Amino acid sequence: MDDLHMDALVIGGGIAGMQSALDLGDQGFQVALVERDPSIGGRMITLSKVFPTLDCCSCITTPKMSAVAHHPNIHLYTYCEIQSVQEHGAGFDVSILQKPRYVDISKCTGCRECEYECPITVPSPFDRNLGAYRAIRVPFSTAVPQKAVLDPEYCLWCGKCEQKCPVEAIDFSQQPETFTIEADSIIMATGFDLTPVSTKKEYGAGKLHNVIDPLMMERFLAPTGPYGRVLRPGDGKEPGSIAYVQCAGSRDETLGITYCSRVCCMYAIKQAMLLNGALPMADITIYYMDIRTFGKGYEQFYQNAKAMGVNFVRGKVASIREDADQNPILKVEMTDTGEIVEQTFDLVVLSQGIVPASHPTVSLPLGSDGFISVPAPDSAPCVTGRPGIFVTGTAAGPMDIVDSIVSASAAAAEASAYIRENGSRLEVEKEALYA
Amino acid sequence: MSQSQQPKILILGTLSGGYAGADSTGQSHLDYPPNTYILPVMSPVMFPPEFYLRAFEHGMDGIIVMYSGTDSPYKVEADGTAKLINRAYQLMKERGMDIRRLRLAAICTVCVKPFLKEVNQMNDLLEGIGFVKDEIAAHASAIVTQEAAHG
Amino acid sequence: MPENQQPRIGVYICHCGGNISGAVQCESVAKALKGLPNVTITRTDESMCSDAGQSLIEKDIQELGINRVVVGACAPMLHEQTFRGAVTRAGLNPFLYHHVGLREQDSWVHGHDKTAATDKALRLMSAGVAKARLLQPLDPIRLGAEKHALVIGGGVAGLRAALDIARQGLRVTLIEKSPFLGGRMAQLETVFPTEEEARALLHDLIQKVTAHPNVTIFMGAEVMGVSGYVGNFTIQVKQHSRGVSDDNAEALMSACTQEVPDPFNYGLTKRKVIYRPYEGCYSSTPAVDWDHYDGRPFDVNGWPIELKDEPKSFELNVGAVVVATGFDPYTPPQGEYGFGELPQVVTLPQLIRHLALSKDGKSLQWNGRAVRDVALIHCVGSRQVDGVHQPQEDGQVNNYCSRVCCTASLHMTADLHKRYPELNIYDLHQDIRTYGRGHEEYYRHALEDGVRFLRYNGEEVPEVSPAPQGDSHPVLVKVKDMLTYGEEIEIPVDLVVLAVGFMPRDLHGLDKMLKISRGNDRFLLEVHPKLRPVETAVKGVILAGSAQGPMNIQESLSAASAAAAKVASLLGRGKVELPPFVAAVDVEKCNGTGACVEACVYEGAIALQTFNENGEEVKRAVITPANCVGCGACVAVCPNNAVNVQGWTLAQYEAMVEAIGMDLPAMTEVTA
Ligand SMILES: Cc1cc2nc3c(=O)[nH]c(=O)nc-3n(C[C@H](O)[C@H](O)[C@H](O)COP(=O)(O)OP(=O)(O)OC[C@H]3O[C@@H](n4cnc5c(N)ncnc54)[C@H](O)[C@@H]3O)c2cc1C
Ligand SMILES: Cc1cc2nc3c(=O)[nH]c(=O)nc-3n(C[C@H](O)[C@H](O)[C@H](O)COP(=O)(O)OP(=O)(O)OC[C@H]3O[C@@H](n4cnc5c(N)ncnc54)[C@H](O)[C@@H]3O)c2cc1C
Ligand code: SF4
Repeated sequence: MDDLHMDALVIGGGIAGMQSALDLGDQGFQVALVERDPSIGGRMITLSKVFPTLDCCSCITTPKMSAVAHHPNIHLYTYCEIQSVQEHGAGFDVSILQKPRYVDISKCTGCRECEYECPITVPSPFDRNLGAYRAIRVPFSTAVPQKAVLDPEYCLWCGKCEQKCPVEAIDFSQQPETFTIEADSIIMATGFDLTPVSTKKEYGAGKLHNVIDPLMMERFLAPTGPYGRVLRPGDGKEPGSIAYVQCAGSRDETLGITYCSRVCCMYAIKQAMLLNGALPMADITIYYMDIRTFGKGYEQFYQNAKAMGVNFVRGKVASIREDADQNPILKVEMTDTGEIVEQTFDLVVLSQGIVPASHPTVSLPLGSDGFISVPAPDSAPCVTGRPGIFVTGTAAGPMDIVDSIVSASAAAAEASAYIRENGSRLEVEKEALYA
Repeated sequence: MSQSQQPKILILGTLSGGYAGADSTGQSHLDYPPNTYILPVMSPVMFPPEFYLRAFEHGMDGIIVMYSGTDSPYKVEADGTAKLINRAYQLMKERGMDIRRLRLAAICTVCVKPFLKEVNQMNDLLEGIGFVKDEIAAHASAIVTQEAAHG
Repeated sequence: MPENQQPRIGVYICHCGGNISGAVQCESVAKALKGLPNVTITRTDESMCSDAGQSLIEKDIQELGINRVVVGACAPMLHEQTFRGAVTRAGLNPFLYHHVGLREQDSWVHGHDKTAATDKALRLMSAGVAKARLLQPLDPIRLGAEKHALVIGGGVAGLRAALDIARQGLRVTLIEKSPFLGGRMAQLETVFPTEEEARALLHDLIQKVTAHPNVTIFMGAEVMGVSGYVGNFTIQVKQHSRGVSDDNAEALMSACTQEVPDPFNYGLTKRKVIYRPYEGCYSSTPAVDWDHYDGRPFDVNGWPIELKDEPKSFELNVGAVVVATGFDPYTPPQGEYGFGELPQVVTLPQLIRHLALSKDGKSLQWNGRAVRDVALIHCVGSRQVDGVHQPQEDGQVNNYCSRVCCTASLHMTADLHKRYPELNIYDLHQDIRTYGRGHEEYYRHALEDGVRFLRYNGEEVPEVSPAPQGDSHPVLVKVKDMLTYGEEIEIPVDLVVLAVGFMPRDLHGLDKMLKISRGNDRFLLEVHPKLRPVETAVKGVILAGSAQGPMNIQESLSAASAAAAKVASLLGRGKVELPPFVAAVDVEKCNGTGACVEACVYEGAIALQTFNENGEEVKRAVITPANCVGCGACVAVCPNNAVNVQGWTLAQYEAMVEAIGMDLPAMTEVTA
């Protein structure tokens, strides 16, 4: 393995983590990027197009991913879990678990022969379980690294992949391995999950057939999506009317999530615009409390959507149930008229908010909102309560891609200053940084 | 060999668009006609209209320029390429060539379906209208006949 | 140098463990290619990217004198870098390498027709060989870079950028136009979301900046001219005199009688033309307001003292420039919501200053009266609608959201409620946009505090008019409230507060000097709104803070630190290295038509220069590689093909196309 003394260790390979790693690497620092999934890319690589430019998301994410992969100063550790972080001087000893891929990545060429041979079909989390892939597979077409990974939970150990692999990369004997990286600083870029709605009984607690989460809609709309078109997961029919329920799981005291998730207004508007193209005949209604299109170019985006015919209705969705044909029915308190109306749709998207990614692996003080705490946001927005550890992207609270990128570069600046001021590398080496 | 009897399609694919789109198509193992030759380009805004004519003379029967359009990292690409291609169309017309042999298409890194559509469409077209060398020859002989008639 | 000799080409075809060889007969392709001119050796291997495969190439370079390498393998995206590395290790220039994608673009898509796949591989590879013959060694564009950056603007963003650049071990010069540091933040009292004192936070920051040995600060200074490019900008600076010194300041200040409206308090008060904007400002030495000083001498102990601005001009050499010139609060035109006509209409920034000046008192006083009812109107100068709002000078309306004003307004209502619990507050908004961490709390508290929220429609804005004589309140606000189902409501109030939005500051041509652009909203424009949010289209010119668009303090700080990270990446090594794929002119062929210059849209990338050739004045195109992006727009228009993008020349493409079109019998003949 590589020299295991790093200037910085970045945890999480979403857009924020990748950007921090690139900014540090570009300055000559040695950076370890540790990602729990088998590929980097985070949520962003699963999105369809991005607001407000409507750039194809893969097109702007893959270049970053390959820049990370090819960067001489970035050392990528995918499919790894952080086990512990211990102070060591001004830096840290980080113990990391390499989960077994059952594939020797030094041999695997990403040819996918194993995948074609594998008899077991499993739901693909990349496609929000709407699509399926094999028990052994390259996680998705633009994955970095382009290496197969075997899912022991589903594998029958039939050995077909092993026989088929042209480079003998399959290795059933792989075991979890632990290794340690000594790092002068750490950047937390562990990202987000959607707010859970399983406890939100009024909205069907995740059990209604044609009520989906927004990341599913992203997959429906993505050029690489599981079906290549938008359909009702309940019965595969093309929806003629679609509703968005804003603030589903944000600004909601009953769920204990009182904050605004910042991105939901914009992604709902974006999806509505994309649906307008994909299903030109469909009626799209967005039920909202406040439309928060505050970013650069966002208000104009909102106005364009209105002009396009997307229906914006100010109203609070009190509950959702479904009829005999599994059509969701919304009960809405209309703010503009005071009435309570019921409206049936073919498909409903819950504009779920953002909560911190499930397992914080580094013990850090958290804010009352559950995100990593930033004690002095008006003077040091990326500095956490533990010296030498910095936070960026949605690990520090809801934010969109552009804000994540800015915050990632800012975290890199904080980390590099910290390394220079406290780093344990020899002075000579530090000089060499800028030689 | 069989391929020599097939019309040839030259594809100029931008690194940030068409070329990457072709790689994505490959990663999905989706078949398309093999008489297609993809060359990577930074931006097709570098090709003068005459380049396309010479390519036809070298036996390319169809050319698809797969650029990144307005998503291009180069701000001239979208308008600039379209202008150059339009001039190429004029030159083609003057030479009695079917301008459908030259196509400009915006293809992105994961545009697998649009990529296949473009390639198949061009292939179908060429099967109908045949080799460019025949078209050039026919035009040349038409001119000869015309000149003979006039003079 | 091996590269200058006749091409000796090594061709390598990878089986990719059956992935390629399953469809392509690699051996036949290799054999056919062997016969092509300049091809010295062809080989196949199970896995070229393996160490063994790479060593094959390295050995051939060293032992057979191979000086051009072509590998047919998986997509170049995956392994082009790998093989460039291998040839470099063997002592060859990395750009004498060419990669052909035979997997994604051949074997994986034509597996059903092996003959066709093999034929295609042969044509693609011979095209690769054709290009290889014309490959030239290339070096990255290396530019010396001053390890010194300029930050323009001494608000919170500029200060933070300067500090963070200094912390990366680089030198920084900060120039601030006004004689004092701090920008708009100094005009705030407590700030959301932390409720810290704005000037205390600023003070800390200024202390760190001024104490840092790498930082030089010029106040009362502005940029007069810019030349050069990334790594090497020359900046002309003019610095005005301060006018007074610590020794004579107090005496002069007390002698000074000329007063002008105080911009620090947005004109609510007056100050002398020799001034400190606030207690504890930096620098603590007062300054003369040259724009307003009428030039009359001051009487100090009977001596008339006349002050003169004697600006100094000097030059700075810097490698990068950070623009942190900030914003102006929107100033409503006379009559918008009664502004400038009714004395009871103020802007939010003015109210902040007013509250700061009236520290005590049981009730809020305005215009000599106690205020009982106050209306706060959101989105003044923001989210404007064409046809409803009066356009700005450039004919456009401000159709953007100013992002800060909602939270700033509710932060204000919290403050008002705390100080004057009896006060009735009406909040007239379109949407409440308290999006940030800790912002929604202000909204909740406002609801709890009894602030009355009314919602208006962007097309039907509220009306502010004087109340009829004898009314209990001086002003009437009319609003069609969407929260009560479109009811027309009249609210009699004592004070109307306009939550004004952000406008970019007048830059007096600075943007033109730096050749950076503005967006439709007139704020400075980033090069890519998603991926490269702090860089501009001009390499080495970087944005920080609210000059780019509305931002709060936290966002301005992040943007500033991000800008510092970009500066550190650019200048840290003392040189800037750019890929060699830029235009290059063949002077032998160039006859100075200038078509290329016209076609190029990148400022300063290509220009005509006059040379003396055999006693004759001739014009030739000259490239400035630092400004060229390598799009090739100039290549297409040059009648002589005198200009080409290095590594991607037109001649190479022509050769490749010719090779693809070649008759296969002819190709196999040379082989035989
Ligand atoms: C439906 C939807 C649509 C959206 N659309 C847009 C849009 O159009 N435009 C836009 O700007 N924004 C959009 N966003 C927001 C955007 O997705 C986020 O801003 C962005 O993805 C945040 O990136 P991140 O790097 O902070 O987090 P993530 O993308 O979540 O990345 C975090 C990474 O860290 C890894 N990780 C987590 N924990 C660990 C651990 N313990 N150890 C190692 N690795 C770990 C994760 O596996 C992941 O790879 C959308 C969001 C949603 C929900
Ligand atoms: C009413 C109101 C209340 C606010 N309250 C809060 C709050 O509570 N919390 C919060 O987080 N944010 C708040 N903000 C936002 C905050 O004021 C800004 O985020 C912050 O001031 C932006 O700083 P800046 O450095 O980008 O710009 P500025 O503060 O405008 O600084 C720019 C500096 O550049 C200088 N300059 C301009 N042009 C030139 C030139 N050509 N050459 C040299 N120097 C130049 C200027 O003199 C100035 O010093 C509020 C804003 C308003 C309007
Ligand atoms: S932040 Fe609020 S007040 Fe300001 S423009 Fe946006 S919506 Fe209007």
